[in-house]
Amino acid sequence: MFEQKIRDTSGISMFLFRAALFLAFLLMAGRLYQLQIVQGDSYRARADDNRFTLIEMPAPRGVIYDRSGEILTRNRPSFEIGVVPEDLPYNDPATEEDEEALEIARVLRLVGADTDEETALRIAELLFLRLGRVDYARTVGEAGVQLTYITVPGPVQLVIPEDGGPPREEAQPVLAPDISEPLPLPGLVALVQRAVAIGRQGSASQPVPILDLLDRDKAFAVAEEAYQLPSVRVEEVPVREYVTGDLMSHILGFMGPIPAAAAQDYRERGYTNPNEKVGLNGLEFTYQRELRGIPGYKNIEVDILGREMRTVGEVAEPVPGLNLILNIDRRLQQVMQDELEAMMEQQEAPWGVVVAMDPQTGAVLGMVSLPSYNNNIFAERIGEDYMELEADERRPLINYAIGGLYPPGSVFKMVPAAAALSEGVINRSTTIVDAGPIYLPNRYAPNNPELAQEFVSWNHKLGIVHGAINVVEALALSNDIFFYIIGGGYPPTQFQGLGQAKLSEWTARFGFGELTGVDLPGEVSAIVPNDQWKRQLYAESWTTGDSYNMAIGQGYVLATPLQVLVSTAAVANGGTIYRPQIVRQIVDASGGLQRDFEPIAVRDVGVDADLMELVQQGMWSAVNAPGGTAYGAKLDNVVVAGKTGTAEFCEYIPEEEDCRRDEKGFLPFHGWFVSYAPYDDPEIALAVFLYDGGEGSEVAVPVARGILEYYFSEISPR
Amino acid sequence: MNQRLNWRDVDWLLLLVVLILVAFGITMVYSATFTTEDLSDYWLRQLVFALIGLTGLVIMALFDYRHLELLAPPSFILFVMLLVAVFLFGDTQGTGSQRWLNIGGTLVQPTEAGKFLMIVFMAWYLSWFQDRMHRLPYLIGALALLLGPLALIYLQPDLGMAVTYAFIGGMLILVSGIRYWQLFMLTGSALATVPFFLGTLQGYMLERLDVFFNPEANQDAAFNINQALIAIGAGGWMGRGWAHGSQNQLHFLRVRHTDFIFSVISEELGWIGAMLALMLLFFVVWRLLRIADMARDHFGRLLAVGVAGLVFFQIVVNVGMNLSLVPVTGLTLPFISYGGSSLVSMMLAIGLAQSVAMRHRKIEFQ
Repeated sequence: MFEQKIRDTSGISMFLFRAALFLAFLLMAGRLYQLQIVQGDSYRARADDNRFTLIEMPAPRGVIYDRSGEILTRNRPSFEIGVVPEDLPYNDPATEEDEEALEIARVLRLVGADTDEETALRIAELLFLRLGRVDYARTVGEAGVQLTYITVPGPVQLVIPEDGGPPREEAQPVLAPDISEPLPLPGLVALVQRAVAIGRQGSASQPVPILDLLDRDKAFAVAEEAYQLPSVRVEEVPVREYVTGDLMSHILGFMGPIPAAAAQDYRERGYTNPNEKVGLNGLEFTYQRELRGIPGYKNIEVDILGREMRTVGEVAEPVPGLNLILNIDRRLQQVMQDELEAMMEQQEAPWGVVVAMDPQTGAVLGMVSLPSYNNNIFAERIGEDYMELEADERRPLINYAIGGLYPPGSVFKMVPAAAALSEGVINRSTTIVDAGPIYLPNRYAPNNPELAQEFVSWNHKLGIVHGAINVVEALALSNDIFFYIIGGGYPPTQFQGLGQAKLSEWTARFGFGELTGVDLPGEVSAIVPNDQWKRQLYAESWTTGDSYNMAIGQGYVLATPLQVLVSTAAVANGGTIYRPQIVRQIVDASGGLQRDFEPIAVRDVGVDADLMELVQQGMWSAVNAPGGTAYGAKLDNVVVAGKTGTAEFCEYIPEEEDCRRDEKGFLPFHGWFVSYAPYDDPEIALAVFLYDGGEGSEVAVPVARGILEYYFSEISPR
Repeated sequence: MNQRLNWRDVDWLLLLVVLILVAFGITMVYSATFTTEDLSDYWLRQLVFALIGLTGLVIMALFDYRHLELLAPPSFILFVMLLVAVFLFGDTQGTGSQRWLNIGGTLVQPTEAGKFLMIVFMAWYLSWFQDRMHRLPYLIGALALLLGPLALIYLQPDLGMAVTYAFIGGMLILVSGIRYWQLFMLTGSALATVPFFLGTLQGYMLERLDVFFNPEANQDAAFNINQALIAIGAGGWMGRGWAHGSQNQLHFLRVRHTDFIFSVISEELGWIGAMLALMLLFFVVWRLLRIADMARDHFGRLLAVGVAGLVFFQIVVNVGMNLSLVPVTGLTLPFISYGGSSLVSMMLAIGLAQSVAMRHRKIEFQ
């Protein structure tokens, strides 16, 4: 037997087995040492990474009050249901079915998307807002679900007509999917999958919201049933509620999910939760940083399903957002809206704006742009309301006080008046004779009076001539001949006018052609027209006729109602251009003052006080002198100064290759009125604008009168 | 034949260590499952399995292993027939591999119990023809009898089990004793078939091998392995404390009470605990080899070596998998992993070895 053990493998095998036993033991011991001792710390850290999750606790958003402390926005508790991308099942490409889609369908059925129409609508809305209309339509289309489309006005562009007419705004129509019809389940599943795919690229552990605005009972019911769907999260997300609805929507704006286009930007600004709702318009947008506060953080221990087991370590409590106190007075705002609305209805004017400002500080007391919209629809069910808003040709989402450019007409005349006085073109006693229309010779046929260009004043249509008038009278009567001549000169009398360069310079000094800097998004401005601008745009040089038109606020001059108001305020306060400000104070949650309103003077226009007084007198006379164009604004208890405007505009009709005209061949016109009061120590400056509303003195003056009456009886009683 | 059984001949130390390991296993199964509602009574079930296993162990020890020589050939034939039945009518259990037989509603995996049949049969054949094994036909006969079932198992496909059978069979042949020239010839022909086997590896086998050799490219599939490494590494010297391992308690470890119980031990009891467990496990193998050396006949010796080989192989593959030293297979950790069939069969194997120990060479001197 021993012999045999040497000749074959039986003996050595037992030895080798024992040796293998030792070797295996040593190898395992060594490997354990390597993993647990040498690399132990790093594995310990990875185990901690597994079990700890940093949770962001959103700070309560700041609320907004009006000037007198009346609350304008608040936060209402509400619940949101989301799915966590990384907790959805992995879609195994080897199998026929899409595991992820099946799980999403289960989640959607759990919340009732297949049975409750309202729920299906809301899910679609939410994803519509998140994905944008293009992605939304593509995703639903690829899922094989038929979508209906509607045409909505799209982005506005400034169009320069080929025939050389004044530039105007036009909305380009675009197709948008109709979201007022509930989508079938496959469409919703596709949308959620798309949102999840985008969510994965950001932070796969952040839930993607699919349904919100649930009350406590419904939310808890879903949470109870969701125990077998580990991807479902139910979170409390307060909803912004706007107490004033459409009264203040242009000022307050609204909130919504971070738009896809701005996602990168917000991430860089430290927004770690891609589902956070942010201010998208109005003050909610401008003061997003202040209102948001600082989110808190806590470290929680989670199990593999992401369920919270306990809180670990220190908790950074959220710092509540700051509250805003506005310069706006809600009561005044209401009266402004009511007065304007009534007049617009009467005149069938499609658009209208009223803005009120303290001319001594730039504090905006009220700002109404009609039509308006209810900003609560962005937080709540949007559906049909939203479709209506999107489809409205009048584009109510735009705040025309800062977003609409219109010819100012005669309310612009204070600028050439102040300029001519300051530049010495005229003095207080210079008179110009209005003896009827004046003519500029045709530049190609200077000797043919038939072809000469005619310039009339509004009064000529009524068969009236004003005769010899000085600057104060010219403003009071709004005589156009006077301003033609001080603007462009008059060759037959050798009178030297301001000319293009001076006109443009003074126009710019009064704040035209630049943004007012108001603390609202979406402000626009036209540029101040000049010779070079015209050559570039129309390949024509500036003519005396252009100066004439510019001097009466027509032709190439375009301005927003707020720009007009800022220039009026400068006349009222003696020459200071103030930046309009909506927000008066920023206070913290405990009432401590964080930032106080300070008037911001942009510049002094540089008109001597005695000369500016003449312009003010002109505005005084327009209201208070017999025959003044704005006599209707005269109040008993307070002295008002003002200036009317009736601005012709061209609404181009392509079929007729001409602007819209009435039966007599006259262009339609906007009604304007700017005013301030009291005359000696102004507290309020007001700009009223009615698009296609009629004569300023007939339509805009009564609106202003109603507002001023209210202001000086209820808010600042005399 | 089995007159004068002496209780002192029982390998009490082996029995004690096995019982310690089983008790230890129950406490670790408790730690791995008590937080999971559906599994929270598994430690109790494991305790019941342990009692059944212990009863089986005692009966097995009292039973004279030499009677098995009579049972070996018929049971082998039955086993092969079962494998053929699996091949023809087997159930896949949704795993894509045909391993189960549905007998009256109960699923049976013949290869589990087959491991012991294989040990007994190979031991019988090798001891029966011991004197003729140096002649090539007998060796080829042994190989054929091994490779037949092996091929059927490989076709199921069940790579892990096939390798287990190959290991035990090959080891038994070597321990039984073959000539060196035979060994070299066998090694050469085995190497020659390697390319053929690589060509027939099933998709899932390749995937597992790929996950092992290329973990970064297989993120999802590598998840379990990775979490096991994290659990083990986080244990450090002393561990995080029994029932306090975060990877285990928060369920980052999957199949933690069966395949990955060693990771639970390493996480909660640290290097010290894992080393103690390994030492006890290897001590069992050592002790089984001692029984083999003392066996009164060649059959008993091969039985003990077979059991030792099986226990050793499962330890190496299971712990190696936990430590990312070998690819993932479904082999459990002997005596410790949860599972009735695994625990009971392992204890029966120990009983078989005890049967050999109790009838060791001493009789010859009487």
